Amino acid sequence: MMRLAWLWAAAASLAADPLAEFEKALDAQPDSMQIGSEYRMAVIRMKEHDRCIKFLGDLAAKHPKAPNLHLNHGFAYVDKIPVAGSITQVLLANTALGHFGKSIEAQPTWIAHYTRGNAYLFWPKIFKRMPLAIADLEAAMKMQKADKKRSYHIRNYISLGDGYWKNEEPDKAKATWQEGRKEFPGNEQLTVRLAKSPAEMDALIVEVYDPNKRVDTNLAELWKQQP
Amino acid sequence: MRRARAWWLLIPALAALGNGPPGRVRFAEVGEKAGVRHIHETRKFQGKHGDVLGMFTSGGASSAAGDFDNDGDDDLFVVSSDAGKPNKLYRNDGGLKFTEVGVAAGVTGGNDPKSIVADAIWFDYDNDGWSDLLVARFGTPVLYHNERNGKFKDVTAGAGFNKFGNTIAAIAFDYDRDGLLDVMFGNYFKPVSLIDLTTTKVLPNDLDNAVNGGGVTLWRNTGGGKFVDVTEKTGLSKQSGWTLDLGHGDLNNDGWQDLYVACDYGTDRMFLNNGDGTFREVTEKAMGFDTRKGMNAEIGDYDNDGLLDIYVTNITDEYMKECNMLWHNNGDGTFTDVSKETNTCNTLWGWGAKFGDWDNDGWLDIFATNGLRSASKENYIPVLLEAIIKPNMEFQELASWPAIGKMTWSGYQKKVMFRNVGGQVFKDISAEAGVDNDLDGRGLAVADFDGDGLLDFYQTNADQPALLYHGQTQGAGNWVQFKLRGAAANRDAVGARVSLKAGPLSMIREVDGGNGYSGQSTQWLHFGLGGAQQMGQIEVRWPDGRKEQIRAEINSFVRIEEVKGGPAKVSVSKNR
Repeated sequence: MMRLAWLWAAAASLAADPLAEFEKALDAQPDSMQIGSEYRMAVIRMKEHDRCIKFLGDLAAKHPKAPNLHLNHGFAYVDKIPVAGSITQVLLANTALGHFGKSIEAQPTWIAHYTRGNAYLFWPKIFKRMPLAIADLEAAMKMQKADKKRSYHIRNYISLGDGYWKNEEPDKAKATWQEGRKEFPGNEQLTVRLAKSPAEMDALIVEVYDPNKRVDTNLAELWKQQP
Repeated sequence: MRRARAWWLLIPALAALGNGPPGRVRFAEVGEKAGVRHIHETRKFQGKHGDVLGMFTSGGASSAAGDFDNDGDDDLFVVSSDAGKPNKLYRNDGGLKFTEVGVAAGVTGGNDPKSIVADAIWFDYDNDGWSDLLVARFGTPVLYHNERNGKFKDVTAGAGFNKFGNTIAAIAFDYDRDGLLDVMFGNYFKPVSLIDLTTTKVLPNDLDNAVNGGGVTLWRNTGGGKFVDVTEKTGLSKQSGWTLDLGHGDLNNDGWQDLYVACDYGTDRMFLNNGDGTFREVTEKAMGFDTRKGMNAEIGDYDNDGLLDIYVTNITDEYMKECNMLWHNNGDGTFTDVSKETNTCNTLWGWGAKFGDWDNDGWLDIFATNGLRSASKENYIPVLLEAIIKPNMEFQELASWPAIGKMTWSGYQKKVMFRNVGGQVFKDISAEAGVDNDLDGRGLAVADFDGDGLLDFYQTNADQPALLYHGQTQGAGNWVQFKLRGAAANRDAVGARVSLKAGPLSMIREVDGGNGYSGQSTQWLHFGLGGAQQMGQIEVRWPDGRKEQIRAEINSFVRIEEVKGGPAKVSVSKNR
């Protein structure tokens, strides 16, 4: 895929409505993960979340079998969470899960499973979403082990371990983090997790999966890794 | 009246403290022994929506501390909310003993079939020197005139309070500085009867940005026991939030009383007094728009910088991370939430919270109630989640909400006491102070009920017994308390400010007319003095802006009576 970072700069400087340039591009390539991701990054900067959600929703209705479009549509809801009220956050998160599910239905990719599994991790334990998180993240793990090693696979070792921890399976969590450290030696996030006491780890989980903090939903790492 | 504890005068070690090492904050729960173990009962609604309505109206366990018999100590009025259930008036007999005199006083009523008692305040509406009583309801309020003989007379009919409101909060303050206390109501639901429903769409239309609540109403005291609705005229009619609490104080030090409106399901509001009988909303500039569940509006200067700050409780729990708001007054018309930085962010499902200097070190500490509903082991939250994530759930519709039955919802929460460490950070001392009960708290009335120089507080709980915590802090600092009486000002001197210097400490307190959710605290202004052995400058600023200096002694009760055209009369006593 071609790099479109230039598009944002060009659009911002030239157009009164820079988001329209992205929308035009997405109309032409609705399932482009890259255009969709860069569109959302622009939306975050411009705080035009509702516009983005509507645009991607309309587009997804026209292209129901486009997995990356559903993924970006789901992320559009995630992107709005930090600026929403506490109840609206729940509704946005739940809606995002639905769109991630549509992405998996359309094409069960690593990124879709990882994304949905990781999204479940933000849910408080009381809502019993951890088994769902683990199922998705294990599916992604299976895929990544069948794939060639990619730098972003480290994320799943972290998330799956966190899922096990949150699901009160500390041995599995540590084993997953240790396996990840073997695959990706020196990774600081894994090292930190493996060094923490149970209480410290619980606190870290609360800190990391705080819905009030913005999650980095920029997918650029994916296409940077394209062979 | 009782003597101040002699041992205060016998601890020379205090002299060496400066404003240094704090006492060990400690309270003992004495409600039963004191005779104030009132059990509040929430309204039981009938019909198929009764369960949900009960869930949404579980506030209202209120109390008000005030000296109705003018014997110098604070009595307690405590409400019930269920149909036919009596309110209680506990007369303080001294020595932490109270006698229930509600029936004889004629103030037990209010929970009639069409009305629900939800709050109460003492205020001297006719400036006769005797505290009158206002009972706020989901309905129309009841105003009782103090007949000075232990009895009260219902004077509602002539007062003009004729508008139905689902009132959950009431304050009395003199917004126009005419010397008469005005009344403001905070209304939760829009003004429809929850008992005789004409529509089932009565709940919040949005759980973070609701605009279909009851807002506020302001009633001007025109004298002669009459009140006139001036909500629109004063610029307060556009507020349509789900008001849970009201706080007033001079936030910008211009001498006029300003307002903080805490709203559930959405944005709290701040209004500054224009000094011409109107208010202007400054929410966006002062603090921005929040989406939280504002439960409490307590006002005090926690960092002793001469500016009133605001403490608002919200909801923080496993499933909702709102954080409270401690609005630091920046002195330039803006406020900064420093709850995270000061460690006052998390008090779980918040309700009433009050400032009080529990150890008399000169810094305002905090006690915060919490807990919604403690019942069975079954948790309502997962049930609720499944309901609210249904596509197109209509939040305002009663039928959309699952019944709660005997389920628990944010229950069994430990109450939180924070000790203020030098105005910079607060330390959780709940357990060591002995106040970490897990009842379903609602309101607080703070007062030095036994006149020993240490603050006590009364905690009301929904459908559970109330608690009276007696302050027993060892090694606490010195103190002084002031009771102001207005002459040109309203008799209660609500809005008056005392500024005091003692050692390195410089503090302000204002007389308020019912700040903080579901609880009116004493109108005695309590100052902890730390180890200071004498006081420096003491200044009284009366509500009309006139200032005068007075003198007082440490560990004493000081009565200050405004005199028109002359210096105030000051009497200093070691006991009340």
